[in-house]
Amino acid sequence: MSHSTTGKTLNLKLRVWRQKDNASRGEFRDYALVGISTEMSFLEMLDILNEQLLQQGEEPVNFDHDCREGICGTCSLMINGQAHGPDNGTTTCQLHMRRFHDGQMITIEPWRAKAFPVIRDLVVDRSAFDRIIQAGGYVSVRTGQAPEANSVPISKNDQESALDAAVCIGCGACVASCKNASAMLFVAAKVSHLAQLPQGAPERAARVLGMVGQMDSEEFGNCTNTSECEAACPAGVSVTHIARLNREYAKALYGSPLGLKGELLTSSGTGGD
Amino acid sequence: MSWLLATLRSSVGKKFVMGGTGLFLCFFLVVHLAGNLLLYAGPDAYNSYANKLHENVALLIVAEIGLFGAMLLHIYLAFVTASENRAARGATDYAMRQSKIPGRVIHVAGLAPDTTMYITGALIFGYIALHLCDFKFEVFADAAQLAADPYTKAAMVLSSTSRKVIYAIAAIVVGIHVSHGFASAFQSLGLNHPKYMPTIKTISKVFGVAVAIGFGSFVTWDGQRRCGCESPATMETAPTTMPSTAPAAATESAPAPTTPAETVPQS
Ligand code: SF4
Ligand code: FES
Repeated sequence: MSHSTTGKTLNLKLRVWRQKDNASRGEFRDYALVGISTEMSFLEMLDILNEQLLQQGEEPVNFDHDCREGICGTCSLMINGQAHGPDNGTTTCQLHMRRFHDGQMITIEPWRAKAFPVIRDLVVDRSAFDRIIQAGGYVSVRTGQAPEANSVPISKNDQESALDAAVCIGCGACVASCKNASAMLFVAAKVSHLAQLPQGAPERAARVLGMVGQMDSEEFGNCTNTSECEAACPAGVSVTHIARLNREYAKALYGSPLGLKGELLTSSGTGGD
Repeated sequence: MSWLLATLRSSVGKKFVMGGTGLFLCFFLVVHLAGNLLLYAGPDAYNSYANKLHENVALLIVAEIGLFGAMLLHIYLAFVTASENRAARGATDYAMRQSKIPGRVIHVAGLAPDTTMYITGALIFGYIALHLCDFKFEVFADAAQLAADPYTKAAMVLSSTSRKVIYAIAAIVVGIHVSHGFASAFQSLGLNHPKYMPTIKTISKVFGVAVAIGFGSFVTWDGQRRCGCESPATMETAPTTMPSTAPAAATESAPAPTTPAETVPQS
């Protein structure tokens, strides 16, 4: 276990949230780590911790991760009270130990939201996001073969803005960092992405009504425009998209047959109360 | 009508109502401040404005229904969303919180305008209740005050030290509340544009400062002394603050203690 590859190493104190399952009460447990290389990623540091725990015959710390290169949105840790740690535009897997100093105490907590119940330790259940996507975050036309790229003209502004929203990796840091545990940035990213493209336009009313309805029934909080989500989002999704979501919702609710008839609203839109 | 229900029940709809009523109340603040600034123009200007306003009964009724309606909706939704937002965090809160917004460091107690809207809102509600008791329902007024003209009334209410303190704090709290609320309403109503949003945010902060200074300035307003020279009503009730009835002497008596005058409105 020679994990100190280059010169600089850190000795750290970790306060990690341990919770057996959703039904159990969780608690913080303190661990000491010695000789952590500053070149390591945060998750590699946790790997070292787990090796150490296994050697001591203790249950390793459960945490979510997959790609470890910032594209899948699986990793998810509240590090010293900041979603994905201290860097802006960074996922936990991309965070490096050089951001910490020797002797530092690092508090690690799971995302905390009623809609994201803890499964074990630092792993939370984010399937609420999947159900929101199922409520309209898709385009349901059969596209057949890839069409000629230039046959559907999209203005540069729309295309860029749509892709700025499409970069959302669904990690849930927006919910975790919001004082209201609101999922507005996530939902806005999906709605804004598809609403600005011709492929998404036919279903835009049903999409926004359905997704907001599902978001509400999952009991996420309400947006109060504090913009913490934007600062925590590793993909840099802007709150401008939340305003577009609000516009889309107004158009759908007051200007589309679906909204005026109250479809997609009564089943789920009033959930949670 | 289900769209109406959805407006009041869906999270986004609630923010429409919150933002819409908030902007309407901001508009009222502007009108109210403009009217109040006439106090500096002297008794004639202010009294004729106040009397004209009160002669127009129809306008007054419509405006009051609109204002109370907007306020009640705003407050009702504040309670609803605040309790939902608290519940949305779940049973366990974070042991540690730090903002990632560059340039802002908050803790759980978060003392920024946007994280304390509920607190500033509650303080404003309490203040409005007192303010209405002072001026609209005249709960604390004595006979002299009831008989006085609007300008003198304002002077009498504001002569009390307790009112000076409360009104000054309230002006600052309202300023803090709208400094976030104004810009936030635009965002909630979907009126956001990358080009204009920075301007709207700046206007929002300037508006907050203007409201705080504008309304706050009336606690230093010397109308009490000035009107004392002209209105016998004030003379009777607060003679100790007016050592002389001569206009020049009254202006000279700048350090006239406000403490004896505190007894004017029985607070
Ligand atoms: S909007 Fe950003 S923070 Fe929220 S889920 Fe998507 S990538 Fe994560
Ligand atoms: S593990 Fe895939 S984004 Fe971090």
